[in-house]
Amino acid sequence: MTPEDAPITKTAVVRDLERFVSSQPPGLAEWRAECSSPRIRIIGPPAFSFGAIFSGLRALIQYSDLLWALSLFRLNVRYKQSFLGWAWAALQPLALMGIYTFVFAHVTKVNTGGAPYTIFVFSGLLPWLFFSSSITNAVHGIVAYPALLTKMYFPREIIPLSYLAAGVTDFLIASIILAGLLAHYRVAPTWNLLYAIPILVVLGAFAAAMALFLAAVHVRFRDVGLGLPFVLQVWMFATPVVYSLQAVPPRYRNLYRLDPVAVAIDSFRGAVLYGHAPDARILTEAGVEMIVGLTLAYAFFKSAEATMADVV
Amino acid sequence: MIDLALDRVYKKYKLRSKGNLPKRWYRGFVRRPIEMWALQDVSFEVKEGEALGIVGHNGAGKTTILKLLSSITAPTRGQITIRGRLAALIEVGSGFHPELTGRENVYLHGAMLGMRRLEIARKMDSIVDFSGVEKYIDEPVKRYSSGMYVRLGFSVAAHLEPEIVLLDEVLAVGDVAFQAKCLDRVSALRKNGGTIVFVSHDLASIYRLCDRAILLDRGRMIMDGPPRVVVDTYQKMTFGDHETPPESQLDTGKAAECLSVAFSAPDPLDAVRTGYPMIAHLRYRATTTVPNAIFRISVYWPSGYLCAQLTNESSHFGLTVEPGRGEITFECPVLPIRPGLYRVDLVIESDGREVDSRQHCSTLCVEAGKSAMGDFYVENVCSIRLDSR
Repeated sequence: MTPEDAPITKTAVVRDLERFVSSQPPGLAEWRAECSSPRIRIIGPPAFSFGAIFSGLRALIQYSDLLWALSLFRLNVRYKQSFLGWAWAALQPLALMGIYTFVFAHVTKVNTGGAPYTIFVFSGLLPWLFFSSSITNAVHGIVAYPALLTKMYFPREIIPLSYLAAGVTDFLIASIILAGLLAHYRVAPTWNLLYAIPILVVLGAFAAAMALFLAAVHVRFRDVGLGLPFVLQVWMFATPVVYSLQAVPPRYRNLYRLDPVAVAIDSFRGAVLYGHAPDARILTEAGVEMIVGLTLAYAFFKSAEATMADVV
Repeated sequence: MIDLALDRVYKKYKLRSKGNLPKRWYRGFVRRPIEMWALQDVSFEVKEGEALGIVGHNGAGKTTILKLLSSITAPTRGQITIRGRLAALIEVGSGFHPELTGRENVYLHGAMLGMRRLEIARKMDSIVDFSGVEKYIDEPVKRYSSGMYVRLGFSVAAHLEPEIVLLDEVLAVGDVAFQAKCLDRVSALRKNGGTIVFVSHDLASIYRLCDRAILLDRGRMIMDGPPRVVVDTYQKMTFGDHETPPESQLDTGKAAECLSVAFSAPDPLDAVRTGYPMIAHLRYRATTTVPNAIFRISVYWPSGYLCAQLTNESSHFGLTVEPGRGEITFECPVLPIRPGLYRVDLVIESDGREVDSRQHCSTLCVEAGKSAMGDFYVENVCSIRLDSR
């Protein structure tokens, strides 16, 4: 009688049970060792899985220096061979501020709740421009150097994320102008100004989610890049950038709560301009949306990443 | 220990094409992609410290394997296991940005290969030194020559201290001195137990560098064995196509053409060895009478320089070739060529004009025989005589 033919003896079952009950489940130690060491990599067919998020994040941490280097590179190259250089980061929102002020403060009046329209629109334009230009750059950037995708490997999400990091820098430069404008109009800062930080984290994470998702689709379908300017323009007017949320009829106002960008921009303006603390519930909702969105977008990006080199 | 393992790997590419759909107004929208299997059911393992060569025609799937191993793309089916730090030297320098200086590119490129900033800073001097572009390291790389570009790229990758290296024809670029440096680097890596996967059309370097080779044909692995056997089979596959050309090719306008060449020792069971006799058989076919025919068998070093030539010209042995098939035999009493793998070209001339020429059509594989330290074995007779006082 060969061992295979033998009926399952009690001893074997007991042995298995004992192993199971003993402090370490069988295989767990090996599994942990394998996970902690990046030495062994197993590459299989692409699949959408949430497990990919953890291995992806680990690789991302390993390549964090590349994210840093590429972000610096974006800023360096962007203003290379331009006369005005870094001033462009402030010029764009300032120019838009000028034209919107003319239209909405002189041609037609917009209710700003007493604040001068100039800083009212500027405080909305800053987060909006950060959001829209980060996404636009990320989507176009991922296909800008096809050789990066087809000739070498690194976690691909670093490309869109580096544009996002460059967008943060632009935002910070333009914030200096905002601070100057606030001082000029004698808007006294309050402690509620600190709420701007979590608000911007929510906005940044949402921008990251959108950038990852749209960039992954854009590699395959260039329709994204073509449709994006139009969508962003509509989105801007669906967001309280040039007008205030208070001016929106109450029955539509709940719709705005679904849009994390609208929530973030309205709360940002509230905290910076009026010294209001944001509505905790609305901000929490936006935060949850952002976490779910970012998780889904990252998992999607990771599953699309595997064949990006084939379709770019 | 197994460093690399491919387990029943398939890779499918979809070629966007209009296909053979009927011509309708929606044809522009509905595309039926043509499927192309770049790899089918490929399984092999590479042990730690082993050097594996991959040979095959263009489109056989060699580059696809390297792309899969370097994670650039994922397999359609199957699984790949990689143990250790891997560096892919596939078109090195392709990640360079032309506007940035050499130094900035080293940082960026190093980071793309997975190096930490501190690690790059530590190795910077060594990288620059190895590449040999010290003078221009702070110039934008758009001002570099293509050779400098590749040298810097290779230099960064070579400093990754990888345990597994993927090489794809990179050794074919750069000047001779740099190639020698690269080969040194690769052999140093091998001595330290590094694993190498090497793709090349240069069969001589496969033969020289690898312990084992696999042969791919249209996405399938058809052979796995010692490099000499695999390279031989590959040669036969390539040259075999010409051996019996279809009758339609008969009147190509050529008065005569080479069919095949074979090298052997007088004893058919033995290999061709340095310092021993060798016989070369050149088969030809002629359609008309070829007066004053000269046959040449040119043997080239791996570096591409002409090493030796067997020809009936040197013996002033004027041949008039009659229509039909035949064989020319060159007998060489002592083969002076060192052990190695040599590229072979064939030429037929008539009255000083070239009638047929075949390049890269075969290889001459010379095994170790009598010891030869220089470029050639020089046949000699040695004797000793004591001075009488």
